[in-house]
Amino acid sequence: MVYVLFLSVFLIAACGLIYELISGALASYLLGDSVLQFSTIIGAYLFAMGIGSYLSRFITRALISRFISIELAVGLIGGFSSTILFMAFTYAGGFRFLLYGMVLVIGILVGLEIPLLMRILRERFELRELVANVLTLDYLGALGASLLFPLLLVPKLGLVRSALLFGLINAAVALWSTFIFREHIGNLMSQRLASFAVVGLLIAGMVYASDITDTADAALYSDDVIFARSTPYQRLVVTRWKDDYRLYLNGHLQFSSRDEYRYHESLVHPGLASLPGAKRALVLGGGDGLAVRELVKYPGLESVTLVDLDPEMTKQFSTHPLLKSLNAGALTEPRVRIVNDDAFPWLERSDEIFDFVVVDFPDPNNYSLGKLYTSAFYRLLRQHMSASGLVAVQSTSPMFARQSYWCIVETMKAGGFQVYPYHTYVPSFGEWGFVLGAQREWTPPETLPGGLRFLNQATMRSLFEFPPDLGPVPVEVNRLNDQVLVRYYDKEWREITR
Amino acid sequence: MKLTRRALAPALVGLTLKGAPRIEGGFALENVEQGHLLRDRAPLMRPRESERVPVVIVGGGMAGLSAAWWMERQGFRDFRLLEMENEAGGNARGGENEVSAYPWAAHYVPVPDTEAGLVRELFTELGLLRDGVWDERWLCHAPKERLFIHGRWEEGVEPHAALTGEERRQMERFATRMEEYRETGRFTVPMERGVAKSTAAEQALDRITMGEWMRREGLTSAPVRWLADYSTRDDYGTRVDDISAWAGIHYFAARQSEEKGPLTWPEGNAWVTRRLATKLRTYVRNNSMVFRVERAGVRWRVFTQSRVYEADCVVWAAPTWLASWVVDPPPPRWVMDTAPWLVSNLTLERWPRERGYPPCWDNVIYRSPSLGYVVATHQNVARHQERTVWTHYWALADGRGADQRRLLLGGDWHYWSEKVLADLERAHPDIRQCVSRIDIFRIAHAMPRPLPGVMFDERRQARLRPRDGFAYANCDLSALSLFEEAQYRGVEAAKYALGFAGRGR
Repeated sequence: MVYVLFLSVFLIAACGLIYELISGALASYLLGDSVLQFSTIIGAYLFAMGIGSYLSRFITRALISRFISIELAVGLIGGFSSTILFMAFTYAGGFRFLLYGMVLVIGILVGLEIPLLMRILRERFELRELVANVLTLDYLGALGASLLFPLLLVPKLGLVRSALLFGLINAAVALWSTFIFREHIGNLMSQRLASFAVVGLLIAGMVYASDITDTADAALYSDDVIFARSTPYQRLVVTRWKDDYRLYLNGHLQFSSRDEYRYHESLVHPGLASLPGAKRALVLGGGDGLAVRELVKYPGLESVTLVDLDPEMTKQFSTHPLLKSLNAGALTEPRVRIVNDDAFPWLERSDEIFDFVVVDFPDPNNYSLGKLYTSAFYRLLRQHMSASGLVAVQSTSPMFARQSYWCIVETMKAGGFQVYPYHTYVPSFGEWGFVLGAQREWTPPETLPGGLRFLNQATMRSLFEFPPDLGPVPVEVNRLNDQVLVRYYDKEWREITR
Repeated sequence: MKLTRRALAPALVGLTLKGAPRIEGGFALENVEQGHLLRDRAPLMRPRESERVPVVIVGGGMAGLSAAWWMERQGFRDFRLLEMENEAGGNARGGENEVSAYPWAAHYVPVPDTEAGLVRELFTELGLLRDGVWDERWLCHAPKERLFIHGRWEEGVEPHAALTGEERRQMERFATRMEEYRETGRFTVPMERGVAKSTAAEQALDRITMGEWMRREGLTSAPVRWLADYSTRDDYGTRVDDISAWAGIHYFAARQSEEKGPLTWPEGNAWVTRRLATKLRTYVRNNSMVFRVERAGVRWRVFTQSRVYEADCVVWAAPTWLASWVVDPPPPRWVMDTAPWLVSNLTLERWPRERGYPPCWDNVIYRSPSLGYVVATHQNVARHQERTVWTHYWALADGRGADQRRLLLGGDWHYWSEKVLADLERAHPDIRQCVSRIDIFRIAHAMPRPLPGVMFDERRQARLRPRDGFAYANCDLSALSLFEEAQYRGVEAAKYALGFAGRGR
């Protein structure tokens, strides 16, 4: 009995510290600047505990019953704290307000625990012994929690489930208290029922926690998440850090607004500027409209067709004020036609011919995407291009995925193109590769459109030079029946991220 | 839906059973009754019209279509092809729904090597082979095949996860032995070429079962036996302990592909048969069941419900055993066991959850009684596929064909759809939440079973020799139900018919 009581002290101490650590960690993850976040959270939390200790003087009757209620409240609020905060961050506003509100409420409740428990135990122990034991266990619990948190809880369970687990411990303390002190509790049955209910809720939370974390993936991103949406095709997340906006698809960075002009100018202008007579352009992928923004700088182009799988993507980049400003409203231009379809079957059905094509698909990290980098695809694409037409293909990094890059070059060759490989340095990506495919001899353009920030005659010539460490390597052709590219890509990026 | 206690109790307290959505479906292409009219020699109407035509082909499967294809190529146009169903194709038919086309049986052709001249000629004509390069579009896309073993999907059909040293050595020895047999050049497609060159050693292989051969070779561990058994069920509808060792070895040792294949299409080999049937449509008569063929002087009278054909020559491309019921004077009884198959096309509203290697064209479950499933939408080039169709194959290969046929025809749709779902559930626990439709084709006589003794049997060889203007063409003459065999037999019979009819003119 005595041991059970002291175990309770140890556990509630551990729980109290865990909630504090979770709030701090969550705030650092989601808001960045961990020193600031941890300092303010710890300060606010300790201050709230002080308020709780002070308030404990106003509880005069039915101490045990009050204690059980407080445990249940801590268990419930603390247990669901990270769930609520994650959801609020992703789907609602006022995150900071909620965060500190939560820290204050939990702090106050935790601050009430130890004084109440000491008063409950007062009649059973001498004061000297009681203070020594309770405070010792309190600090031991804190030590246990602070070690457990970084070593086991965060890596194994994650923030959402760790909080739920410790909420469950609080509720368990309440539950066994209803048995230990059963003679001292007036409303025994209702307290016990309430305890079971809270335990049940928290267990349900544990069971569904994976669904919660699937949707609230904000913790993945160290910057502010300003837009997050799951479509049937992918998960779109836009983050902001100061004036840098970044788009992630399924967790993979697509662009950073600080340097994407280097990427998109390189993707579009070497090819299109050399085709003064180009009338019809096609963009495959690239639903963010950034390539289209570069295309519409050519007044001679009569139509731009953008084929992107995800209607949500093109809709957001046509209407959302912030996202639309990134592509300068290019998607709403009258010359631009948006088609939401799967590129390969769309090309198979279409009979249109284009003068310039931009292929801007995500990197070939799986077999579904790998199909869009096969010789069959390039052969089909060639059938949709005018005789003087050009295609520019984003082709992953010749630095980090050298075999993958040269595999795309070889595959385009096998698809019947004359190839002109080139590369650009994009700070947020690293060294990035492109391939220009032509059907006859190609020479770089004499002039470029005005207002470019990165490309001029001198930089453009340098793009086509490959230093020895980026140069060609022997590779096989990527075919539908043998997707070597996905294997190269998987191997090369695994080596980088290991 | 039948009310059960499990469904009733929650219903009484106003709850709905949290279970799988209702699955629709039924049996497809069933034509058992019509087939049995022949067996029971039911009195059929005498046709009133008659037509004189030099050559009649009976049966519009791959063999019959190939015979017609060959004659047309040689500039011969005086023939008819009589097909009892409303569409030619036989074992190479296919269906379609709003999600995808899908096969009803045969669904791929191995990439032919340079020896397989006829297949190459046909595929060149169909545009699959251009200037020595195979059309990538219809070569099986990556990833090709996977195996569900030890709770997750692994790449490839051969088990290689968590093998003991001895198991691994046996797998390797098996592969080496098959390579040695391949190098003898006596296991060929078409098989007759190799059989002609065979020595006593090969003939001895036809006297024992594959299981016995493996025991003699010390190949007794579970993984290698499973691989052999899976393969013989998959291609020949026969268990490893029943099949002729010669046929079992033929599966592994007969082909040397020049390109990563096979060739495959959403609708399976119906892609080929439909193109042939369209090209040959002036000669094909659908819904024309031949119920009697009789000798009349130097000619043959071929009876269908509506018309009797007077022919100099008959190419019998229907199953060979059927001739004993239809032809007069009756040929000697043809005793060859046939394997029944259950082919189910499942429509999925979403892909099930799973672990390991991603979905492939061919998806095999280790130690399952079925043959696994093929993804009909695999050759679709779309990046995103919300819905799909799976073709689940099940060769009822245990024991005698007749017993398995009773089992096959005895089970109703609920019985078989439940069996198929339970089989898939081993690898996909939430499969019932994904499937909206199951259409099932019960093929009573799907293929000949190459049991020991068949390959070098005198009676089989006797059937191969056409007589009096009557030539057999079905692939069961090879005892191997293969696309190439059907085509070869069809063309061989057509060559005979051309010679015969040419003489008659």
